[in-house]
Amino acid sequence: MRGFWPIFKRELFAFFVTPLAWVLLTVFLLVQGAHFFLLVDHLSTVTADAGDQTPLEAFFGDTVVLYLVLFLLVPPMTMRLFAEERRSGTIETLMTAPVSVPAVVLAKYAAALVTYIAMWLPTVLYVLILARTGGIDLHAAAASYLGVIVVGAGYLAIGLFMSALTRSQFLALLGTALVVLLLFLVGMGEFVTRDGTTLHDVCVHLSVWSTMTEMARGVVDSRRLVWGATLIVLPLFGTVRVVDAWAWG
Amino acid sequence: MTAIAVDKLTKRYGTHLAIHDVSFTVPRGSITGFLGPNGAGKTTTLRILAGSLGKTSGTVTVAGFDVETSSLEARARIGYLPEQAPLYPEMRVVEYLTFRAELKGVARRDRRAWVDEAMEKAVVGGVRDAMIGKLSKGYRQRVGLADALVARPEIVLLDEPTAGLDPNQIHEVRALLRGLGGAHTVLLSTHVLSEVEASCDRVVVLARGELVAEGSLEVLHAAAGSFVVVLRGEPEAARTVASAVADVTRVEASSVDEGTTRLVVHLAASASIDPVVAALVSAGMGVREVSPVRTSLEEAFRALTLTDKGDETGASS
Ligand SMILES: Nc1ncnc2c1ncn2[C@@H]1O[C@H](COP(=O)(O)OP(=O)(O)OP(=O)(O)O)[C@@H](O)[C@H]1O
Ligand SMILES: [Mg+2]
Repeated sequence: MRGFWPIFKRELFAFFVTPLAWVLLTVFLLVQGAHFFLLVDHLSTVTADAGDQTPLEAFFGDTVVLYLVLFLLVPPMTMRLFAEERRSGTIETLMTAPVSVPAVVLAKYAAALVTYIAMWLPTVLYVLILARTGGIDLHAAAASYLGVIVVGAGYLAIGLFMSALTRSQFLALLGTALVVLLLFLVGMGEFVTRDGTTLHDVCVHLSVWSTMTEMARGVVDSRRLVWGATLIVLPLFGTVRVVDAWAWG
Repeated sequence: MTAIAVDKLTKRYGTHLAIHDVSFTVPRGSITGFLGPNGAGKTTTLRILAGSLGKTSGTVTVAGFDVETSSLEARARIGYLPEQAPLYPEMRVVEYLTFRAELKGVARRDRRAWVDEAMEKAVVGGVRDAMIGKLSKGYRQRVGLADALVARPEIVLLDEPTAGLDPNQIHEVRALLRGLGGAHTVLLSTHVLSEVEASCDRVVVLARGELVAEGSLEVLHAAAGSFVVVLRGEPEAARTVASAVADVTRVEASSVDEGTTRLVVHLAASASIDPVVAALVSAGMGVREVSPVRTSLEEAFRALTLTDKGDETGASS
């Protein structure tokens, strides 16, 4: 793991000195703030309906806003990671330092993940506010955040992999967005395939939507976590192979 | 004591043969100039030495470590300045060098002192807090140089370290290079031959991906020898005879006075003048005087790297 720590620190630094980071953070918090506002508004006016849906479920599950946020947030966060280093040539100075390829890959990934988690932190305030008005299940809240982190971590790993495949940040952005969209659509298959068919089961199992809906209810299914871990580990492993291949292929 | 050993190195880019069966060594503590026309394969070789490019075949050992099987150990002992000196534009000079020192494993307590030392050597102290993206090309090159030196590596590989520098800066870098010999082993590629004469004690010359000369500067001078031959005879006849001898690349003939001719005979790498003298004598031209001409490095370079066919470089086919 030689080189992990300095690269991790530099990546965090590099992300937050770009204007892009602050644009993303602002848009993210604006969208989540508006979302929260609409949610509270909704819950306070339609009290009769609120019985079958907890605020957490409305915030994290059964809502397209979350996916919109992930879809808009993750690709620009990861596009730079390897593509920019290869375009500008700094990858050569990086890789000729005594660092191991897994350390480089994991350091970049960890920096993106920490940034992502940091972006979600302010939203904990919303949950706390909801908790004060009563009726919030802390277990379900923890499960919701676990879901957000697992799904986000998978998307970030896919973004990192895409960034390693090309010198163009734009192509990395496009590739990540496409794969994320595809994953979402596979999950949507749950609602178009017939109940009881294998295809339906597969769709349900792979569905990010159902994962989040379940977790917002406080249900943590280990099979969903395994699928989440696969979405993280597979792209990371692929990235290590790709980075290895640039030099030695 | 060998710091760098390259043995039968071959590198193909797809079907294009960039390096073909090149072997040379660089002794510890020496400053070795790495010469060759554009496309000769200097950058390719340096990248293989630095561990950023895989080879096709052969073995490369740096500081006693195979660059492929003991890559980390080898890289820990190398300071490398790539051809374009790529840097992170959003960092300040001192931040960047501190990052690089940490990345190369310089202990925390030494970091500040070593970074300061590298900045002093590369003369970038004046821009220590400047954003790298806003520096001029020359300064960026020098930050790259400071980066190559920051971890006090045993071996320093520099790919055209003075490209883009103004004459004052070139002068400073040369002084810096001379100061590096002994403690460090330096292999530097360059197109500036006066730089080689000023700072190197050895040279390795590539052309079209093959090794054409290796050794001290004296060897290089002698390798592409020219001789002045004074003889009795007509210029044209003498020229014809001399030109016909193998290994003679070029002959200039001039008439000194009635019946006496002065020839300047240029020989191919490490050829002897004896066959030329023998040929002239057996053609009935009395040779009165033979003396070597100390060629300039430029001439030696041209003689070594241009083929008789006259093709200029080994640019990709
Ligand atoms: N990435 C690459 N892909 C394909 N061919 C390459 C690549 N890099 C270099 N070459 C070819 O390999 C040969 C050697 O190139 P190299 O860059 O090593 O030359 P050089 O001696 O450094 O030249 P210069 O003096 O111009 O810097 C050239 O013919 C070049 O076209
Ligand atoms: Mg070059």
